[in-house]
Order: sequence, then structure tokens, then C-alpha cells
Amino acid sequence: MSTATGTSTPPDTTRSSAPVFSVDGLWKVFGPKAGRVPADPALAALTPAELRSRTGCTAAVRDVSFDVRKGEVFVVMGLSGSGKSTLVRCLTRLIEPTAGTIAIDGEDVRAMDKARLRELRRHRAAMVFQHFGLLPHRTVLDNVAYGLQVQGMGRAERRERAARVVAKVGLEGLEHRRPGQLSGGQRQRVGLARALAADPEVLLFDEPFSALDPLIRREMQEEVVRLHREEGRTMVFITHDLQEALKLGDRIALMRDGRVVQLGTPEEIVGSPADDYVREFVRDVPREQVMTVRTAMRPASSSDETDGGPALRPDATVSEAIEAVARAGSAARVMSDGRCLGVVDAEALLSVVAGTADVAAGSRAAGAMGVPPLERSRERGRVGAAAPAERREPTAPATPSEEPV
Amino acid sequence: MATITATAQKASPPGILANRAVRKLLILAAAAAILVPLAHAQWSSGTWPAAFTVDVSEPLGKASDWIIDNRDGHPLFLYFFGHVSNAVVLSVRAVYLALLAVGWAGVTAVGALVAWRVAGVKLALGTAAAFLACGLLGMWVPTMQTLALMVVAVLASVVAGALLGLAAGLSDRMDRVLRPVLDTMQVLPAFAYLLPVVLVFGIGVPAAVLATVVYAAPPMARLTALGLRGADKEVLEAVESLGTTARQRLLTARIPLARRELLLGLNQTIMMALSMAVIASVIGAGGLGDRVYQALASVDVGAALAAGIPIVLLAVVLDRVTGAAGERLVDDAPAAPAQWAYALAAAVAVAVAGRLAGLLEWPEAWEANIAEPVNRAVDWMTAHLYSGVPVVGGTADWAGRFTTWVLDPLRDGLQWLPWWSVLLIVAALAWLIGTWRTALTAVLALAAIGVLGVWKPSLDTLSQVLAAVAVTLVIGFATGIAAARSDRFERWLRPVLDVFQTMPQFVYLIPVVALFGVGRAPAVAAAVVYALPAVVRITAQGLRQVDPAALESARSLGATSGQQLRQVQLPLARPALLLAVNQGVVLVLAVVIIGGLVGGGALGYQVVFGLAQGDLATGLVAGAAIVCLGLMLDRVTQPTGRRTAKGA
Repeated sequence: MSTATGTSTPPDTTRSSAPVFSVDGLWKVFGPKAGRVPADPALAALTPAELRSRTGCTAAVRDVSFDVRKGEVFVVMGLSGSGKSTLVRCLTRLIEPTAGTIAIDGEDVRAMDKARLRELRRHRAAMVFQHFGLLPHRTVLDNVAYGLQVQGMGRAERRERAARVVAKVGLEGLEHRRPGQLSGGQRQRVGLARALAADPEVLLFDEPFSALDPLIRREMQEEVVRLHREEGRTMVFITHDLQEALKLGDRIALMRDGRVVQLGTPEEIVGSPADDYVREFVRDVPREQVMTVRTAMRPASSSDETDGGPALRPDATVSEAIEAVARAGSAARVMSDGRCLGVVDAEALLSVVAGTADVAAGSRAAGAMGVPPLERSRERGRVGAAAPAERREPTAPATPSEEPV
Repeated sequence: MATITATAQKASPPGILANRAVRKLLILAAAAAILVPLAHAQWSSGTWPAAFTVDVSEPLGKASDWIIDNRDGHPLFLYFFGHVSNAVVLSVRAVYLALLAVGWAGVTAVGALVAWRVAGVKLALGTAAAFLACGLLGMWVPTMQTLALMVVAVLASVVAGALLGLAAGLSDRMDRVLRPVLDTMQVLPAFAYLLPVVLVFGIGVPAAVLATVVYAAPPMARLTALGLRGADKEVLEAVESLGTTARQRLLTARIPLARRELLLGLNQTIMMALSMAVIASVIGAGGLGDRVYQALASVDVGAALAAGIPIVLLAVVLDRVTGAAGERLVDDAPAAPAQWAYALAAAVAVAVAGRLAGLLEWPEAWEANIAEPVNRAVDWMTAHLYSGVPVVGGTADWAGRFTTWVLDPLRDGLQWLPWWSVLLIVAALAWLIGTWRTALTAVLALAAIGVLGVWKPSLDTLSQVLAAVAVTLVIGFATGIAAARSDRFERWLRPVLDVFQTMPQFVYLIPVVALFGVGRAPAVAAAVVYALPAVVRITAQGLRQVDPAALESARSLGATSGQQLRQVQLPLARPALLLAVNQGVVLVLAVVIIGGLVGGGALGYQVVFGLAQGDLATGLVAGAAIVCLGLMLDRVTQPTGRRTAKGA
């Protein structure tokens, strides 16, 4: 398959470049005289029901701030009506935000004129939609080439490029079908190919797999993981499915009633929920598959422990550690670059599974030892070059939410 | 006090009517209790009081005279209407001459090839057969005249309709302005359009073409707007997210996404144009309609049928070919231009060959004269079937009895009713079925009829409409229920309905004149036959679309099929049944008015009389009354969207 394209993450891992998207204090209020709601602190503090009865307005997005870093998969998760779809549409102003700032690579999106905004939509951010949004009268190839046609590219060139992208998403041989003749999964591959064809800096996904069968959904998720591994493209992914969020997300913003209630890595969300809502949300998640040994380990208490027993990477999951510990019958060492960072024993692992482990303590312990924390790797086996720089940042606070609730 | 007792009866059984209905009736009854004694004291006679009548015939006559005097001199006519008129005449003439120059062989070949390319072999053969049948019946030249008029009128209608539809589809304000106008135009009988056009253009081809355009453009405009507005929101959003300009969105997404509606609009426009082009023979359109009109005027059924069959063939062919073309265009990739080029070359070759072989005019030796045998058959029918058939009686007996026992009492009853009670009944009905807005429109429309001074003839027309609607609904609901319950019956019925629904209104007059002679009963019969297919179809569809789960649950509770029908299917299909009533009323009115041509009398006759005598004032007043009557009948039977949603 193709190697990294122009937009893939450059190999210098120490770069601290500006975030791709930087959202600050974003509001979207629907209703009459929507502008007064974010401006008035008294109104802004109301609950959705109160706001509705007082002003007739609905706040879909309330004071949301976050950064999307280059090369990461940023997942926005929430139930229906939590404002996540509105949020992603605000990023390219498909829905005009009411207040706040949005910047892409430092450029103010809200200040863009029409031509500049079109340029943004054509070249820098492409979106994949829940119900695909394909043009039924065009063939697969022409649908994929549509974005290029809109840019004014010649017929032969855009078809050639579209054919390459169609092959990349695994639709060879279906180029001349109409969308009506494809299955749901195939249609969404066309939607994905259309977004990829313009070679955008960021891919925006709006619940792209919600309309698909479970098996097809998993297949498509793996397709996204594969594309991300190959190209390292920045992705903003909207979903209501927690499993999907945990599987794909480097970081997850959990939304409720238009607010971000917690923002953090999957491990942080599962390991230290910010409030009861999040706790309830993640209750049934198989923790041993999300948590890594780094959070479960304790400092080695004796040289015995640092010398013997099975070795684990710090980003191995707890379930892998359980297997290793069970096979060896003793505690396992967590090794990084030939150093022993800590030890996990059966007791610590079981407390993770039981949900009684003090995750923050584990993190702190790791942080205190001056080790880069949270160097996670899930089943996708991320290539080292694409590892985003944010992993270098210490995440010390017990509740890593950027949105205190 | 007829209404008040009637409303009181309706209100008395508690719990049967919804509370809202009772409340509405009580409010009306209270209003009536105050107003009626006042009205009664002031104007005790039953008909519309003369004090409320405005005589518009004099100013209208003056206006018409002024227009006739100034048609050749006034700048408005010289520089605007004159040019329009000339352009229409020239283009119709050009198309007509072109059709004649291509010759019958050429026209048949081109028609068949176009049908073959867009709709397949079967329809191509059908098209060729239809054209040849027109020639065989000795109607080649009138067919070409009608076709020429149609080509010009359809092109103009499509352009005008598409532009209006584009405006309404893209601008909310235009949509709010245009929608009620187009909706209303859709329900008005064709006859109402004739007189205003004649007033400006005089009798002749320009008036006929423009009346056709005015009649045929609304469906195109409506469907264009509907298609543009109904586009999948997410597709449009996706297209926007790719950075399209507004122009790109319109051309590459919105219009292609609306192509199904656009093609449906084209189909409907063509059918409406044919229907009107035939009726417009009354105001000077030549061709097939004129032949039918002349033949009907002298009750020459054979000649009428010889001209009527080509109309039906034309209608069926045009409908099937455009319909099939629409489906093909929507489903498949468009045909390669090369294939079109081949088809065109072949058509040109046939036309040239036909020209060289001298096959321009249809050879007279090939004409079959059906008029005489048909007339002989009609004479035999007149002699044997009109009356005196044992047990069942003759057709003329039926018509006579229907007139004596149904139409006369109904008309006399309506005209006997005090005018205010008619208004009250209309208000009550409209309010019960719809909202206070529809009720107000209906009452105002009815009052306008009184003000125009045509109260009596309008009630005469109304009585015919009511009788025809009653018959239509009884037969239509019964047939619809049967079609919904028996697949075999529906399979058998469908092609019949398809053909009947495509035929222009005018054609229905021919068989009823053959069967029943002239008078009000044949007009009613034609209206019933014309409105039946739509009523049957809507009823059957409504019943078949009833939620199968509801039906299944009723069956699981042990309901008999009669109980299922009465307690589940009919109540759940209520919106469809109301729609069937509405459509039935609108369609019946259209034909009852045209029935003025075969002795239906009343408003339709006044229009025809006005045209024939050059007394445009009478005709215009009758035309305005037709508009009001159409508006009133539509509003009275128009269920609100909310109710429909609730019933579904």
C-alpha cells in the first residue's frame, strides 16, 4: 500500500507544532436572538431546560474548548442530542458558530471570507457523513472525483486520482456502479474515498459507521485504523459508540448537553472518570483491555523483582499482563529501553479488573520516575514515526479533564 | 332554519364526534343564531339578495369592447401582446409546416425511433402503430395541427414552469408567494382559463396556445420546486462540505437530485397540455379537438369518435414514452451520444426516403371511414337501447330518471334553500374537515358567486357536481375496496385505470352523448367516468398502505374480514379517503363545466355561449364563478395536514 503521503507526520518527534484545530469557548445556540446567550453569564449558566423555557433557545454546543493535535485521532463522543454533530459542523462552518474561536493551523476560521472558507473545505478539511451523502446520479468514480471537479481539476486528471483513491479504500472493480447498487459498507467506503481524494489535512467523521451493521462497522473501523497507520492523517471522529471511541481514539472528548464533561485518553476516561455520568458511561467497559500496565504497576521493591520474571512493555494492556503473570506464576517487570520502570503483580492486575485500582497513583508513580507516561500502543501497532508528540507531555492531574464540571 | 336543526342533530350524540368538532359547530350555531334572524328580517327571499349583487357585466363589456377597438392601435397590444401573438403563430406554423414537410412516413419513423431510444422496443412499436392509426382514421392533418400546437405550448410551459419552480425552489419568499397560487391553479377547471386569454388575444391560435401554457405550466413549476426543496439534506451538506460554490451546488447537485420530479413534471405538463389543447378548440385551436367539437355540436358521434381515438392514442403514447423515459433516465446511465446519432441518422434516412417515394400526405385510399358504421351503430342503439328495453329500461330512460329523480330535486332544493343557510352549511363542512382558514376561504368564494349575480346557475352546476360526486364516491369506494382486497381484480383493473387516467377530459363526452343523448345527465355521467379512476386508485392505495401489523393484530383477535375493513382499514385509511373525495370533487367539477358543451347548461353553458356570441362579459362572469366554485369545493374538502398526520 501507499507510504505516507505529503501530509503524514514528519519524523521529527520533538516538534511542538501548533494544533491543527484549536477551539476555544465555542458556542452554538439555536433559536431567536441566539447571540445573547453566550454573552450573558446568567443565561450561559442555565440548564438546557431552563434556557429553553426562558429564551426559547437551545444551546447545542456550550463553551467547548479543545485542541486537535497533528496526527492524532480525536474522538468526540456523546449520546444523541449531546451536540457532537453540531460541534463538528462548526469546525468548517457548515453550521455557523454563535460565539468562540476556531483556528486551523493558527488561522481564524470564523474570520474567513467565503472564498477562503471554500478553500478550507476544498483542500484542508474533508468530511465523511453518517448517511454517506453520495450523489445518486453519479458513478462511484465520479462521486470520488466530485471534490476534485469542484476544485476545477480537469476530467482526465481527477478521474485518474479518484481511481487511485478508490483502489486505496478497496473498491476496485466497482468504479462504474451507482451508489444505489452498493451495500452500506461500500457506500461509506465511497464517502471515505471522496474525502481522501482531495488529500485534506484533516478528516472529519460524523458518526460514519452508525448506519452500518455491526460486522461491517468493525471492518470499517479497521479500515480507518489502517488508513491512519499508513498516512498519519489528523482525524476528528464523532461517535456515540463507546467501544468505537476507545478503539479509535488517541484522545476522547466526552460530551453531555453540549458541554465536554471529560477530555482525555481512553485509559484516563475509563480509569478515572471525571464524574458519575462518565463513570456510569464506562461501567461496562472491559477495563483490562483498555488499561495499560503502566497504570497498574508499582515501583520495584527489591532488586529481585527488577531482575527476574517476565518483561512487559509499558503500553501492554492489563489483559496481556494477566496472561504473562499467570504463565510465569510471579510478578512481571515493566521494561522500557532496558530499564525496569516498575512491577505488576497479580494483586495489582486484579484490582484493575475489579475497578478498585487508584489509577492516578499509578500515573503519578510513573511520572515521578521521570518516564514518558502513557506511551500507549493498542492493537493497531502504531509505527514509531507517526507517534504524535503529545505523548511526551506529562499528564499529572488526577482528573485530566480540561473542562472541570 | 335548516342548518341549525342539522347542526343540532350532529352535535347531540355525545362522544361520537371529537370534542373539537362539537365546539366548532356550537360556535357556528351561536353565530348563526344571531345573524340569521337579522338576515331573515332584511331579505326574506331564498335567493341571493339583489342588494348584494354587483353588476359587473357592464364594465366588463366595456373593457372587452375597448380591447377589441384598440387591439390594432394601442401600444400595449402593438408592442407586447402583438409580438407575443405573432411569435406564437409563427412558431406553431413553423412546427406544423416542418411536420408536414417530413411527411407521415418521416413523422412516424422519427416518433418510433425517439420512443425506441428513450423507452424501448415495445413502446416504439406502439408509437408507430398509434401514428399509423391516426392516418388510417383520416385524421393525419388534424393530428399534426394538434401536435404542432402541443410542441410549442409544451416548450413554453416547461421553460416558464421550470423558471418559476427554480425561483420557488431556491427562495423561501418566492415559495410562500407562488405555492398557494399554483395550488389553486391546479384545482381550477380548464374552462376558467379560456376567457381571460380570449379577452386579450381574441379567438385564435395564440389564445389557444397561451391558455394551454397557463394551464400546463403549474405542474412543472410545482414539481420543480418540490424536487429542489426535497433534495436529501445530507447530500447537500456533503456537497457544501467539499467547498462548492452556490452555482456548482445548483448545477451538479440540486438539479440532478431533482431529476425524478423534473421528469414527472415534464410528463404531467405534456398530459395537461394535450388535455387543454383539445379543449382550446373552443377558442380557436384547430386540429383534433376542433373536429370533436364540431362533431359534438351536430351530435355526429361517428365523426367525434374518429377524432377522439387519435386523441386517446396520442395521450397514451405521450404518457407512456415520457414516463418510461423518466424511469430509464433515473435508473440507468444516460445513453451514449453515438447511439443517439445513429437513431437520428436512421430517422432522417426514413424521412428522406419517404419524401422521395412521395409519402408526404397520407394517401386517401388508405383511410378507413369509421364515422358511418359508428353512426349506424349509434342509430341502432338509439332505436333499440334508448328506451323500452324490458326490465332494465333504456339508457335514455335512465338519463331521464336520473334527471327527474336526482338532479332536479337536488337543484331545486339547493336553489330553494335560503342563501345564508348555504353559506352556513359550507362553513360548517369546511370547518369540520379543515381549519377556520379553509372555511373562511370557502365562504368568501361562495359569497363572491352571489355578488357576481350568478347564484342560480352556480347552484345548478353545484347540484350536478354533488350528484356526480355522490355517484363517483359510491362506485369508486366500492371498486377501490374490491381492488384492495383482491389482487387478481387489481391486476385486471390497473391497465384500465392507466388508460382512463391519461385521457383528456374532452374525450369523455363522446361516448356519453352516444349513450345518453344530450342534457345534464350525460354531463354528470362523463364527470363520473372521468373522476372514477383517480378515486378508485387513491382508495385502493390508501387501503393497501394500512399498517399490516395493525391488520394482523386485528386478525389475531379473531376479527372477521368485514370487521377488519370497518374497524381497522377504513379508519386507518381516512386520510387517503379524504384525499379521494377532494380529488373526486375537483375532477368532477372540471368535466361538469365542460358538460356545458353537451347540454349541461349552467355555468359551462354560459362560458360557451359567451364565446360563441362574442358576449365576453357573460362568459367572464361565469368563468369567475367557476373559479370561485372550484376554490370553494376544494377548500371544503381539503383536510388539514395535521389531521392527515394524525390519521395516518
